[in-house]
Amino acid sequence: MQNKYFVSRFYKGWQIFIENPLGKTGVIILSVFMIMAIASFFVPLIDPMYDPMTGIDPDIKLSTGPGLTHWLGTDNVGRDILAQLLEGAKVAFIVGLSSAFFSIVIGTLIGMIAGYTGGIIDAILMRFADIIMVLPSLVILLILASLFGQFNIWIIVFIIAILRWPAVSRVIRSQTLSLKHRPFIEASRVAGASHVRIVLRHIMPNVLPLAFLYMTFRVTSAILVEAALSFLGFGDPSQVSWGMMLQWVWKSGHMFQAPYWLIPPGLCISLLTLAFYMLGRAMDEVLDPRLRKEGQTG
Amino acid sequence: MEKADSKSRILVEMKQVTKAYASRKKLFTRSSPQVLALNSIDLSIAKGEVFGLVGQSGSGKTTTGRLLVKLESPTAGEIFFNKTPISQLKGPGLKTYRSRVQMIFQDPYQSLNPHLSIAETVLEPLIVQKIGTPDTRTEKVVHTLDTVGLSPGEAFFNRYPHQLSGGQRQRVAIARAIVLEPQFIVADEPTSMLDATIAIQLFQLLEQIKETFGMTFLFITHNLAAARYMCDRIAVIHDGHIVEVNTADNIIRHPEHPYTKQLIKVQPGFKYTR
Repeated sequence: MQNKYFVSRFYKGWQIFIENPLGKTGVIILSVFMIMAIASFFVPLIDPMYDPMTGIDPDIKLSTGPGLTHWLGTDNVGRDILAQLLEGAKVAFIVGLSSAFFSIVIGTLIGMIAGYTGGIIDAILMRFADIIMVLPSLVILLILASLFGQFNIWIIVFIIAILRWPAVSRVIRSQTLSLKHRPFIEASRVAGASHVRIVLRHIMPNVLPLAFLYMTFRVTSAILVEAALSFLGFGDPSQVSWGMMLQWVWKSGHMFQAPYWLIPPGLCISLLTLAFYMLGRAMDEVLDPRLRKEGQTG
Repeated sequence: MEKADSKSRILVEMKQVTKAYASRKKLFTRSSPQVLALNSIDLSIAKGEVFGLVGQSGSGKTTTGRLLVKLESPTAGEIFFNKTPISQLKGPGLKTYRSRVQMIFQDPYQSLNPHLSIAETVLEPLIVQKIGTPDTRTEKVVHTLDTVGLSPGEAFFNRYPHQLSGGQRQRVAIARAIVLEPQFIVADEPTSMLDATIAIQLFQLLEQIKETFGMTFLFITHNLAAARYMCDRIAVIHDGHIVEVNTADNIIRHPEHPYTKQLIKVQPGFKYTR
């Protein structure tokens, strides 16, 4: 009963979202990748040789093209490319979503604190955010990886999150600033509410939609950074990912010999990041009615 | 004897209160120019009184209200509540003060959090002040909603602000203000965003609340007619100065200060009633 309002609001938002061609396309592409990611759990169960990391087809010594047993072919040691591709989808989701999630958590917290407290704390936090914002995350990751050896995938996720929160915190801060002097916040202060309560109860629900919007854009950048890092050979070597697949193609010298090996991971990276970007753009429209009108007239 | 008695009945007193806002500091200038919102004003409001504060936009009337509920602090001077100075209040003392002094804001479309239901909005002061148990709080909220004319209270419990009209929203805001049964309520132009018929209903509601709870009101308005209808005494504020304080009738019938006369002159209706 109490959630009826939110259900109806969610439903309305969803209507606008799905009517948007960008949103529709994004959702379709995304669901394909989700099915791929889920399928990755079941493929090794069919036959151990379909394990993306360790499953080697005993009959195959060289990279072979698509065939009946290996729909997309195999790599140079006889591992199934489709299985790797499915596993890559799972990893891309894990990396993208979790690092985006961490970065919006950090960014939202810092943004709300900076916006709400103002003054010297605001200045310090925002200058700090500026410093991190101008750091090139890929270069930093490369330097760290070459200093400390190859990272575990979760450390990569975490570092991407740490390097990617400032943009979120800027947006959340400005939103918080506009909320801070709204009478309902002041009413809560007059009632004696603590600052923590005001931030969590009154400001957070009002900035969360924006935070989720930014999460979709963070997902895109996290997936790209991880792919680039892996392709350059600094990824997690124990983990198949699309970037890692590209790295293997390149390292084994199959760049121009095996298009069936090179193209799928490249295509998947582009499509998945595109899907998340489309999702973000469509969500933008739901959250900002001004964009909605513009889209409809123009 | 009589003098002592009238002194003890004073609930709120402002002494030489000045509030200056600093304009934005420029990089190389040492002193920043100031805007004086209030220029050493004196005010005293007796227990159980409805005290009107009338003035035009920018005269400092809202600032006065905000100082009294301690949303802002005076630059100079002191405010006394029950003879206790409030400017140094902190922590538990401030929290107790907050439970005794509440505010009704001008714009009912801005003063309710769109993400909270009516019940959550009105419950908040009780939760924050740790009054009662969850059950008694709910009961209290229902009762308060009934009091402000949103009855049955249960029917409004799970509604959200956007589902209510402006007048209903303002009733919710009044419920939030009175749920703690404060001694003093600052009503900052509570009806200026609403149309006249709704405004009259709200005036009646405020009056009824005053009768039942014996609360003291500071009624801030730009509308002399509204102030005359509601208030026992009226202070006219102009450019940060209190120019005249008198009983409501006297202010209208025998204005002394030129600014008050001017206010009465521009007020339609008064010309004919005189």
